Amino acid sequence: MLLYTLRRTAQMLVVVLCVVTLVFLLLRIAAGDPARLMNAPDAPDEVVEATRERLGLDEPIYVQYLYFLRDLFSGDLGQSFQGGYSVAQVVFAALPNTAMLAAVTVVVSTLIALALGIGAALTRGSWFDRAVQVYVAFAQSIPSFWLAVVLVLVFAVQLGWLPAVDFTGPASFVLPVTTMAVALTPILIRTIRQSFIETLEQDYIRAARARGIAQRKILLVHTLKVASLPLVTLIGLQSGMILAGSYVVENIFNWPGIGKLAVDALTSRNFPMVQGAVLIAAVTFVLVNFVVDMLYTTLDPRIRLKGAS
Amino acid sequence: MRGRLKWCTGIATVALVITACSANEVPGENDAGDENDDAGSTSDTGDDSVRFLIAENFWADWAPYQSTAQSQARLETHIYDTLLQFPSGELDQPEPSLATEWEQVDETTWEFTLREGVTFHDGTPFTADDVKASVELASGATDVETVLQSRWVPTTGEIIDDHTIRLVTEEPFASLLNAVRQTSIVSSEDLEAGQDAMAQEPNGTGPFTLVDETETKKTMAANADYWNGPPAIEELVWEFVGDPQTRVSALLAGQADVIDRVPAEQHATIEGEDGYSLISATASEQVNLWSIPGRVSAWDESPELRRAVMLAIDRQALVDSLVMGESVVATSFAPEATLYHAAGSPAYEQDLDEARQLVQEAGAEGLEFELWVASGFLPRAEQVGEAIAANLNEIGLNVRVVPSDVAGLVDDSNSESGTGLLYHLSWSSGGDPDAATGIYATPNRWTAGDETIDRLVAEGKTTIDPQEREAVYAELQAYLWEQLPHIPLYNSDFTVAYSDRVRDLRVLPNYETDFYPASIGE
Repeated sequence: MLLYTLRRTAQMLVVVLCVVTLVFLLLRIAAGDPARLMNAPDAPDEVVEATRERLGLDEPIYVQYLYFLRDLFSGDLGQSFQGGYSVAQVVFAALPNTAMLAAVTVVVSTLIALALGIGAALTRGSWFDRAVQVYVAFAQSIPSFWLAVVLVLVFAVQLGWLPAVDFTGPASFVLPVTTMAVALTPILIRTIRQSFIETLEQDYIRAARARGIAQRKILLVHTLKVASLPLVTLIGLQSGMILAGSYVVENIFNWPGIGKLAVDALTSRNFPMVQGAVLIAAVTFVLVNFVVDMLYTTLDPRIRLKGAS
Repeated sequence: MRGRLKWCTGIATVALVITACSANEVPGENDAGDENDDAGSTSDTGDDSVRFLIAENFWADWAPYQSTAQSQARLETHIYDTLLQFPSGELDQPEPSLATEWEQVDETTWEFTLREGVTFHDGTPFTADDVKASVELASGATDVETVLQSRWVPTTGEIIDDHTIRLVTEEPFASLLNAVRQTSIVSSEDLEAGQDAMAQEPNGTGPFTLVDETETKKTMAANADYWNGPPAIEELVWEFVGDPQTRVSALLAGQADVIDRVPAEQHATIEGEDGYSLISATASEQVNLWSIPGRVSAWDESPELRRAVMLAIDRQALVDSLVMGESVVATSFAPEATLYHAAGSPAYEQDLDEARQLVQEAGAEGLEFELWVASGFLPRAEQVGEAIAANLNEIGLNVRVVPSDVAGLVDDSNSESGTGLLYHLSWSSGGDPDAATGIYATPNRWTAGDETIDRLVAEGKTTIDPQEREAVYAELQAYLWEQLPHIPLYNSDFTVAYSDRVRDLRVLPNYETDFYPASIGE
């Protein structure tokens, strides 16, 4: 187990390093010159060059990268190009907001998916099952940015029930979580339904029924535990989608998280801030997947970790 | 039983976490929010607080005179004062600010009598030393290069006494009042301490002080000791929100008091709602298709091709059906609100037949080039780009629209390896002819170094006699209109929407949005 954890940690570090290196290079090669952007079109070249020097962009890319790595390994994410703020401070202030939004989305989506998926599996072919299938198809086809705007117009602007933007309290979660849940639930529902149907047809379930074990116990103890394995995996995989989705949703709802921070920073070519936001997102993603792997072995003791003694 | 307990504990934990998180203020976020005011039906700002959502990010820091970003200039007008103010927006109607009296002594000398009893936010008294240090730095009279120096000629300060100063320009300078309008007066002590410190902590004499800032949000508090009386607005929050729909939603849900760059298609919606109003500043922003010399030789060498492009575009249709609002078709390279604006001739109304003929004369049939447009800033930029490309393709050109963000567009235009020929961008100049036309002259990288343009721009800057100056600008505008180094499209408007709880909000043609002396109503 220790060996496995060490190996996974090393893998995670490599993945994170690859991601931040890729982002570093892409920004320098493809995203242009922030110094030119920060100056007027008729600014003298000397002024632009002075800005470039101030931002540290006058050095060759490999030198900038070495400085970046040196700072990174000493825990310094650098200073923002705009205003000189500490990137670490700004990013870590935004991180809990994204984490909360993602966590509430996962919890809400999972509960909805369990209810609808199990219900559909147990009533296969019924009107309820068909209604769930319709919801899945409908929800999959709705673009998040469109749904978000419609929800805001109806529930915030017209009815005035909920906040349109910002994170001001529990009610602020409703619209962004709904938007993200509509995107996330279809695949969860389909997975749970399918997994439940397959599990219910297993011999040990039939045997349990034959032994007279109560249907409720069969569902909650025997079926749910096995059927939830793919759900756990899926949530781990979907954490990337949730993070990516939060980039859209956070901007529409002006949610003060990593997604909005990264997009705002990208529009102003604030390289250190983009790197910081992506770094934290990458770390979060690999950690979530690591936790999911651990959970997987806990839920299903038959699965043994390769490398664990 | 144990299972139920686990479920209940889990749900309670989630609820507690959410409640605990939401009860705490979010670091770096809307501190002005009222804890008890969770629903969107009422404003999240406090009774004496105003929240302003702006469309342009805060690109710059507070280093003096090192930015021409609109967002930064609008912030600075609340933190700093200038020698004179122009509340009407007209350059020929200056009013006292830090200077109480002023007169032109000769062609190169202006004398200013300064207001007494004014202090900077840190308590330092304001004197002529501050004006001298500020103007000399801003105008390029020191060793430090500044972005603002292109709006000045090098100018030195001669201190007569603590509250009287003469500004001596290196040569006659006709746009001095405009330069003064753009030059915040900073503390000479701060300048001695170095610009790096000033970049982080602005210290002005203005009606508001900066109390908190993040990447995308600046919070100001009323300066109770302001020389003209304390502002009625206790707290002023500026926040960048790039998405136009989000800005509108926040306003209509009561979570913002003022928003800018309101899309024209939303004007009717906002006007139809009780308690909201619009203000538009019109015709001071010039939207052109800016060309880059050296990218397509046919463009550089053939006036017929440029004329064909101008004649092919249905600019009136763009204004009427896409840009809308208060925008007007451009009749010059200087926006209509510019001093000495002169409409060009011919009007270049759309004429596809003549345009096709000119393309043939230029031997440019099938010519391929890129037209870059930036989303999220100018209204409906992508649609405008597509409409223009359709017009140009009708006359035998082969135009590809490249959508981008503003940063990507600016970068491609400036890069040696850039691939675009035409770029859909705007330039706002606040009514000053030098600022409006200087952009077409060297050292702007987007010009070919045309000697006639450079000469006329320099003459306009240094010609003091109003009639002679008007003639210079008429000649310059006529030359530009004939040569068409770029393609002038329209003068776009700038519309601010606000809740009626904000009273006496002022929007000037240079896009300043003044919250002093605005107040908050019932």
